Amino acid sequence: MPSLTEANQAGKGRRNDERELVRRAQREDKEAFEELVRRHQARVFAVAGGILRNKEDVEDIAQQVFLKAYFSLKRFDQRAAFSTWLYKITVNECWDLLRKRKVRPLLYEADLSEEQARQYGASEEREEQAQDVSERLEKKQELERLLECLEERDRMMLVLKEVQGFSVEEIAEILGINGNTVKVRLFRARQRITDRVRRRRAAGV
Amino acid sequence: MSDRPGKFECERFLEALETTRPDRGAEATAEALLGHVNEPVRSHAGACPDCQAAVEEMAVTRRELARLSEDGVEPGAWFTTRVMGAIRAKENEIEERKNGVWISVRRLAPRLVAFCAVLLVLGGTWALEVRKAEEARQAAEMRPAESVFESGPSAPLNDDVLSISHQEPGQ
Repeated sequence: MPSLTEANQAGKGRRNDERELVRRAQREDKEAFEELVRRHQARVFAVAGGILRNKEDVEDIAQQVFLKAYFSLKRFDQRAAFSTWLYKITVNECWDLLRKRKVRPLLYEADLSEEQARQYGASEEREEQAQDVSERLEKKQELERLLECLEERDRMMLVLKEVQGFSVEEIAEILGINGNTVKVRLFRARQRITDRVRRRRAAGV
Repeated sequence: MSDRPGKFECERFLEALETTRPDRGAEATAEALLGHVNEPVRSHAGACPDCQAAVEEMAVTRRELARLSEDGVEPGAWFTTRVMGAIRAKENEIEERKNGVWISVRRLAPRLVAFCAVLLVLGGTWALEVRKAEEARQAAEMRPAESVFESGPSAPLNDDVLSISHQEPGQ
């Protein structure tokens, strides 16, 4: 098992390696940028998935994020971590999309729309599948209803922290707000969620 | 003295609790969460109902939101290729736009040269005409001044002398 020092050194090495990749990408080295895309794509998808509604939007936004990152990489001065900078772009792109569409930023919704689910339901041959889909939809809707009690920004913070595992400092940097504000808002958001869950249980839902 | 622990200990405990990360694949429970907090800080939760509530709230939230990570969208196998392709396409577009400006300049160059030549001829002619007109005006202005000295017989220089000379002696 690697010791703590070894793990720290490995982490430092990875960071230096990433800095070098960024430097090379800044000199328009496409291979280096491709490697950066490979390393960060999953997290960018996760962040965008936590904010947007559907799969297509997430893919389009993720592509847009990397495109934007590539063309503004020369302006990135490496004072912050590349990943934080990238997630900041992701969050901004998601907000822009939602603002353009003027829809409420809900958390990730089912791959299938309700209409598709109904179509499934109509088909007798796929009765079992339909049941699965409707169950899935029901659970997702339940979750959405639960999260309705939160402000959009708080909802996003909660997803970044409690689902994606971002630290308070990272969230503060991504959203451009104070770390203490993040802590307080997270604390209140969790209180609200718990309160709703308890009330739901008490109502026997 | 109050039975409840101090504010400083609560802050320390909540700080430590906040650094715990969601554990994928395992159900979030208060016990599991406490397991990630170091011992001297962890023991505080046993005596503090507020901190116990905070642990419970975090566990409930993580359990409820766990579905989101299960249903997360994963990048497809071709995503990197798609991104790099989009970058190349965008670069070509920028290059074409730059070249487009240059090509239109080159296409318009003969017309531009002809236009400039016509403009030069017209401008030159106009400047020449203006100069000629100016010269003529200056010449016209000079003429009356010359006539003061050149035209007509000059007045007798010694009229007074003459008038005196016409006077008779004894008048």
